[in-house]
Amino acid sequence: MSRSREFAARVRRALADERVTAAMRGTTWRKVTARAESLGALRDPERLRDLAAQIKQHTLERLPEYLTQFARQVQQAGGHVHPARDAAAARRLVCDLARQYGLKLAVKVKSMTTEEIGLNAALEAAGVEVFETDLGEFIIQLDHDRPSHIVSPIIHKDRRQVAAAMARELGCAYTEDPIALTRIARAYLRDVFRRCDLGISGTNFAVAETGTLCICTNEGNGRMSTTRPRVHVAIVGIEKIIPRLADLPVFLKLLSRSSTGQPLGSYTTLITGPKRPADRDGPQHLHVILLDNGRADILAGPFAEVLRCVRCGACLNACPVYRRIGGHAYDSVYPGPIGSLLTPLLDAAGDHYDLPFASSLCGACQTACPVRIDLPGLLLRMRAALHGGQPWSKRAAIRLWQWAMGSAATYQLGQRAMRAFLADDGAGWTTRGAGPLSRWLEARDLQRPPARSFRQIWEEYLSRE
Amino acid sequence: MNDAGNPSTAFDTAAAKAELSAFIAALGPRTAAVAPTPLPELGEDIRDVAADGALIERFTAAAAAAGMAVHRATPASCAEVLGRIVQQLPARHVFLTAQADTALTPALAEALGDTLRRLGVRLNSTPDDETLFTVDAAITGVAAAVAETGTLVCVSAPDSARGASLIPPVHVAVVAAGQLVADLCDLRTLWRTGADLPANVNLISGPSKTADIEGVLVTGMHGPGQVHVILLDG
Repeated sequence: MSRSREFAARVRRALADERVTAAMRGTTWRKVTARAESLGALRDPERLRDLAAQIKQHTLERLPEYLTQFARQVQQAGGHVHPARDAAAARRLVCDLARQYGLKLAVKVKSMTTEEIGLNAALEAAGVEVFETDLGEFIIQLDHDRPSHIVSPIIHKDRRQVAAAMARELGCAYTEDPIALTRIARAYLRDVFRRCDLGISGTNFAVAETGTLCICTNEGNGRMSTTRPRVHVAIVGIEKIIPRLADLPVFLKLLSRSSTGQPLGSYTTLITGPKRPADRDGPQHLHVILLDNGRADILAGPFAEVLRCVRCGACLNACPVYRRIGGHAYDSVYPGPIGSLLTPLLDAAGDHYDLPFASSLCGACQTACPVRIDLPGLLLRMRAALHGGQPWSKRAAIRLWQWAMGSAATYQLGQRAMRAFLADDGAGWTTRGAGPLSRWLEARDLQRPPARSFRQIWEEYLSRE
Repeated sequence: MNDAGNPSTAFDTAAAKAELSAFIAALGPRTAAVAPTPLPELGEDIRDVAADGALIERFTAAAAAAGMAVHRATPASCAEVLGRIVQQLPARHVFLTAQADTALTPALAEALGDTLRRLGVRLNSTPDDETLFTVDAAITGVAAAVAETGTLVCVSAPDSARGASLIPPVHVAVVAAGQLVADLCDLRTLWRTGADLPANVNLISGPSKTADIEGVLVTGMHGPGQVHVILLDG
C-alpha cells in the first residue's frame, strides 16, 4: 500500500472513532478559548509575539556564537556539554553516561526531544529501567501507546482506557475516577523517585548568558526528575537557545498562555549547573547534550524559521484538521501544522509528501503561533518541495492540467467540455460527477459555469463595435 | 547507588573540547542572512504590572487564581495564622527551618516552632528523605515573589533544600510584602550577574496539577497538592 493510501486510511480510522473525536474536539476547543482569554489579559500580547519571534530569529542567525557562550557558561557552572550530530549519537551518549556512572533507574521529564531520538528503547536495551513521569506519558508507556499531542499526550484516550491500562499494568483496583487514578500514579512514581539515580530532561529554553536550562511543567515531574537523581542529563535541541536571562520573561509570558491558557505553569525551573557543594539536594552531575539531528540542515535551508518553535502546541489546537483527525493520523512524533513541517525536515529520507496536505491553509495556526512562524506559507512551500514524492497518478494529473492550461486552444476545449459534461442539479450547481470527479465532488459543490464564457462575450462585443 | 562511579574528570578532555568546537563551528552561516535580525532591546513596554503598582492586591488575586491560598498576617500574628492552617489541614508532622535571605528568620522560625509544638505538632528541621517523604507539610521562606503571576521564587541554598517545597503534600510559604516584585521582567534584577544565580531557581505558581485524564483538573500529581502563602505586611 502506498503511503498516501496509508495516510488516508489512518484519517478514516481516526474519523470513525466517535469517542476520540468528541474528546479531541472538547479539549482542543477549551484550549483555544483559554489561550485567547489569557493572552487578552496581557497589556500588549502582539508586541510580545513580535519580540519573541525577533529574539528567536536573531539567535538562529548567530547560533554558533550563542551556543559557544552557552556551553562555556554550563561548564563554568560545573556541568559538561556534549555534541550529538544525530539521534544515534545522542542515544549512545546517554547510554555511555549511564554505564560510566553505573546508573540503573532513570526518570524522565516529559520531553518531545527524547521522543524524537527514541531514547527509552535504547536505555532499556542498555539495562537501564526507564520511567516516564509526566502522568500522560506514564500512561502512554504503560499502555505501549504513542503520544498524540505535544503538550497533552493522551488527549486521544478516555478515562476507561486509562483505567484499564493502569489496572492491567500496575495491578491496582479498577477505577475510572481521574482523582483516584492520579493518586495511584503518584504513589507508584514516588517510590521510583526515592530510588532513581538518573534524571533525563529536555529543556524549554537554554539561556546563553548564564548557561541556564529552563524547564516548565505543571505536575512537578520536571522538578522531581532534576532534584532526586544524582545525575541529570538534559538533551537540548540546538534551537532552544535564547541569548539573555532578561529574554526569558518574554517567552514565559507567552508559553503557558499559548499552551494551556495559564498565565504561568505551576513550575518554571531554572537550572544552572549541578548542585553546589553546600546545597542540601540536587544532582551532583549535570550533562547537557546539544542535539543537531537534522537541525543544522534546516537552519541552512528555506524552512529555517520553523526552528523558532517553542513547542507550545497552540497550532495543533487551532488547526481544524488536527482537531478532527487527531495526532495519530499524522504518524509522526510532531503532529499538527508544525509537525507537518518538522517531520519531513527532520526525516528527509522518509516519505512524508502527504503531511503538508493535512491542512486547509486557513491560517489559524499562524494566528496562534507565539513566535509568528508563517506556517501556511511554509506548508505551501513544503508541498512544492515534496512534489516528487507524489504518486504517479497525481503527478500525471497535474501534468495534464499544466498542459491544458498552457495553450488557449486546450483551455477553451476544457471550458467547452465542462459546459457539456458537468451535471446541473437544477439550481445552478454541480454536486455529482463521474469517475475521479465523484470523489472530488463528495466534499465540494461546483457552481455551474455561465452559459457563455467571457471570451465569447468579448468577441461578440468586439464584432458589434 | 554506585558512588564510586564518578567519572566526571574524564569528560573535559582536549579531544572532547575540540569535538564540541567543531560541532558548533559547523553550524555557522552557510548563506549570509539578507538582512540580519537585530536583538531587540527590552524596555518597560513588555511590563504588565508597573513597579509602583498595587503589588499586594495583584499578588493576592493572581496567587488565588493560580490555586494558592493567601493568608494575610503581620510578623506578630504569623504564628497564630500558621497554627490555624496546620490545625485545619490537619498536619501533625511538619518540616520547619530558618532560611537566610527570607522572611523565615531564626527568630520567626523559633516563634512558629513554639506555637506548633504547643499544638502538639511534631517538628523536623533536617531536609533528608526520611523527613521530606513523611511530613504532612513543609514551611519555607521565599527569595522573592512576583505580583504579576502570583509566583513564589524558591531557590536552592545551603539552608534551602529543593525538596522542601516539592516533596511534602502541603507547602506553606512565608512571604514578606517587601519581597514582592511587580513583573516577571523584574526577576532579572534579583541576581546582579549570571554567576550569582543559584543552581536551582523555582518559580512556583500554584499547586502541582495535571489535566491529562480527560482534561479533569487534579491537584497534587508529584508536588504539593496545596500551597498556602502567609503574606506578612507591616
